[in-house]
Amino acid sequence: MNPANGHAGKVTLQGRELPFAAGETILDVAKRAGVDIPTLCHDPRLEPAGACRTCLVEVDGWRRMPPACATKAADGMVITSESPKVERHRQTLLSLYLTDHPTDREASEKGAPDQLLDMAEQFAAPTDWGRMPLQRSGRPTDTNPYIHFDEDTCILCARCTRYCDEVEGVQAITLANRGIQTTISTVDALGLLDTTCELCGGCIDVCPTGAMGEKKPLVRKDKPERELTKVRSTCNFCGVGCQLDLNVDPDAREGHGRVVKVTSPAPGSTTNDGNLCVKGRFAYDFVHHEDRLTTPLVRDANGDLQEATWDEALAAAASGLQGVVDRHGNDGLGFVSSSRCTMEENFLVQKLSRQVFRTNNVHQCAAT
Amino acid sequence: MFGAGAMTNSIGEIRDADFLFVIGSNTSEAHPIIAMEMKRAVRDGATMVVADPRKIWMTSIANRHLQIAPGSDVWLLNAMAHVIIEEGLTDQAFIDAHTEDFDQVIEAVKAYTPEAAEEVTGVSAEDIRWTARKYATTEKAGIYYTLGITEHTHGTDNVYALANLVLMTGHLGKPSSGMNPLRGQNNVQGANDSGATPIFYPGYQRVDDPVAQAKFEEAWGCELSPDPGMNLNVMMKAVGKSIKGLFVMGEDIVLSEPNVSRLEEAMNDLEFVVLQDAFVNETFRYANVVFPASVFAEKEGVFTNSERRVQRVRKAVDPPGQAREDWQILIQLANAAGANWTYASSAEVYDELASLAPQYAGISHARLDREAATAAARGAKTGLQWPCRTDTDEGAVYLHQGGVMRGKGLFQPVAYRPPVEPTDEQYGLVLSTGRTLYHYNCATQTRRESGSHIKQPEAFVEIHPADARTRGISDQDQVRVFTRRGEIQVRAIVSRQVRRGSIWIPLHFGEARANLLTTDEGDPITQTASYKVCAADVAKLDSATADNVFPGCHYAVDGPGGHHG
Ligand code: SF4
Ligand code: SF4
Ligand code: FES
Repeated sequence: MNPANGHAGKVTLQGRELPFAAGETILDVAKRAGVDIPTLCHDPRLEPAGACRTCLVEVDGWRRMPPACATKAADGMVITSESPKVERHRQTLLSLYLTDHPTDREASEKGAPDQLLDMAEQFAAPTDWGRMPLQRSGRPTDTNPYIHFDEDTCILCARCTRYCDEVEGVQAITLANRGIQTTISTVDALGLLDTTCELCGGCIDVCPTGAMGEKKPLVRKDKPERELTKVRSTCNFCGVGCQLDLNVDPDAREGHGRVVKVTSPAPGSTTNDGNLCVKGRFAYDFVHHEDRLTTPLVRDANGDLQEATWDEALAAAASGLQGVVDRHGNDGLGFVSSSRCTMEENFLVQKLSRQVFRTNNVHQCAAT
Repeated sequence: MFGAGAMTNSIGEIRDADFLFVIGSNTSEAHPIIAMEMKRAVRDGATMVVADPRKIWMTSIANRHLQIAPGSDVWLLNAMAHVIIEEGLTDQAFIDAHTEDFDQVIEAVKAYTPEAAEEVTGVSAEDIRWTARKYATTEKAGIYYTLGITEHTHGTDNVYALANLVLMTGHLGKPSSGMNPLRGQNNVQGANDSGATPIFYPGYQRVDDPVAQAKFEEAWGCELSPDPGMNLNVMMKAVGKSIKGLFVMGEDIVLSEPNVSRLEEAMNDLEFVVLQDAFVNETFRYANVVFPASVFAEKEGVFTNSERRVQRVRKAVDPPGQAREDWQILIQLANAAGANWTYASSAEVYDELASLAPQYAGISHARLDREAATAAARGAKTGLQWPCRTDTDEGAVYLHQGGVMRGKGLFQPVAYRPPVEPTDEQYGLVLSTGRTLYHYNCATQTRRESGSHIKQPEAFVEIHPADARTRGISDQDQVRVFTRRGEIQVRAIVSRQVRRGSIWIPLHFGEARANLLTTDEGDPITQTASYKVCAADVAKLDSATADNVFPGCHYAVDGPGGHHG
């Protein structure tokens, strides 16, 4: 939101006077000003829940500390986001959460980085308050191929269930049971494939601890996300053009690299706002599939495709196409390019057709 | 119409729309991320009307579902225009300032009363009136459509009919208000823009325009042909006749072209075929030379999405074995054929494209990389939307601001033409085909994917309970679907998702190729083949035949039983 439009007033945050627009929360104002307020249950794509209380701040004249993510800025508010009181409160809260969460990174962090442990480290929260027995149940019988729920590391922030409801709009997963048995589940604890789930993987993306995780890398025992290199690219499926991060293990395949998983960039600065669909997020196995072609092929005198060197294949192709031109003229050739390939490659195919073989018989397949 | 076939709005504007008219787009399956934005708009109070022959997911959150008879779109759209004109809901100021030939449309839609439309389309006159009024009187009203509306023999008519609605209500050149084709594949827009079309050089400069021809002759140092080439549909029909040699990059034409059996025969008459692909495909049977190519994760370049946004594709891993990046192979092939191409990188290829296509001139790999790094901090989105003419041009979020780009928006009267292949006694059902969420086109990629396979392991036909009953078909039966061109064997899903009299088949399965059934009769203007509508019928298979190999299964890429020879 641009405070220039709909300017609604000013707040003072950590001694700085800052303007805000109607409807903005304290967290929105802080974000824009570059003031860091830690959050766990917040996601800009979701309605604020104010559930985890990690974002509590002090407001002058307020007896209770309000959550920055769910409190609207009001004219004249004086806000403190860093103080001994806020700090004490944060430490206590994080230590409490850790009584119901593994504190050992090896054990907890199987795939995605565990932000709860990161925060405990960052704010020096004591991790030795003991461990409650686990009462949350998982769904070990869920055979869906993609999404794994680890009841052990879930902190019940409900980001996943709110995403599923508010963004994906299908309510496949919900908070289930009561009290200390509260967990994330489905109707009748069904496997995701038997629910309205569309396998968008958004629940994985929003989970701050990695409790919702991607199954395939876990099964394959790939390196944890922290040790992978992220390469930002554009999804190769539909015309939305989602931005995604290819998570690469650079040492795999003798140093040629392996795409181990796909994650979505943070919401806000991409056209897909950090969302992906089942294809963009999970359909990457084809990259390293055994059916990939690895050598040039040339058809021999017996009519069989035989492996060839690049030089042989290129020469055969060039003279074969030229032969058609010699016998039937330039318009005896047709060039089909692909909407799956890049702009540059399409440009080169039409240039090949027009400049080298002198025909305008060139079109991309699936011109829709 | 009004120029370039791109979305006039941006994807990010959808959530702020107050009225969404979605026609012929199974958005939640074909474009899930756009569907999310639509869901958000509806959640925030927007009105949504979905026109589709099937009950699709989006209809479950729509205010109204107009369940039109397949192929009757023009009737519906003309009737909406009729209502808007009759009730004086047009934007006269916009029409006067920015358009031409409105009179012709007034004349053309006179006969299209909602009552008459109800007869043909099956949509109630009341629904048509309500939708027309709502669309015309809502300021932020956008139209969204996709293959459903273009893959018809009347595709162009449908698009004109939509454009007429847009122009008469002045719903153009404003945020959240415009005409938005959702592109089926990642880089359809970019491939068109970069000149992979028989009539245009890069940047929509016509090959038969002597000025453009001279410009490209100079740039490329050679004489160029002024004769427009064949578009894909025409080219495929000419295979074996005037076309004697083919070069195909990244497509399985035998699997994805309509009326496949005719094409397969004709392919045998080709003298030379070069394929460049990352995977073995069905067209391989005809190839003389095959180049092993790369997938997106292995190469540098850009894609342009439906909203004209140019974004980077980056190399993350090396291609397997001796496979190479496609742009490198193309350079090597050109040089083997006597050219002297010296590009050292895909960025250099892009630079030549940008120097020849002014709407891309302000964009470069370097600028995209530089600005992506700061996008979050600037509150901007990654990528640049064309037209973007200079280094400092921020690009166009929506088109036609302050008027219509090509000068005046041309109204194009359209008349309903009945489908080329009406139903009859032998072929009593209307067959449409389409995509599902879990697969993608020929599925060469997604069928190599465990999850998609589990959700939808095999091909199916959706048929209405009433039609199933008269044919003695129950849910899950193995059935034969046949048209004048061929037949396939699939499983029947008896469902009210389809209208009575219609059946629907997904496009993705090699061993039961829907394209054996469809017609290659093209749209008279764009020559986009009509994948969507043809006459067909369904019959139950007895159990003996049902166990046999699927007809049409010459080569299954990755069928349920593993690899077929
Ligand atoms: S994958 Fe998407 S639809 Fe399925 S449970 Fe997660 S958020 Fe919901
Ligand atoms: S699974 Fe993750 S996102 Fe969902 S409630 Fe648990 S911790 Fe939060
Ligand atoms: S982040 Fe604000 S209460 Fe959880």
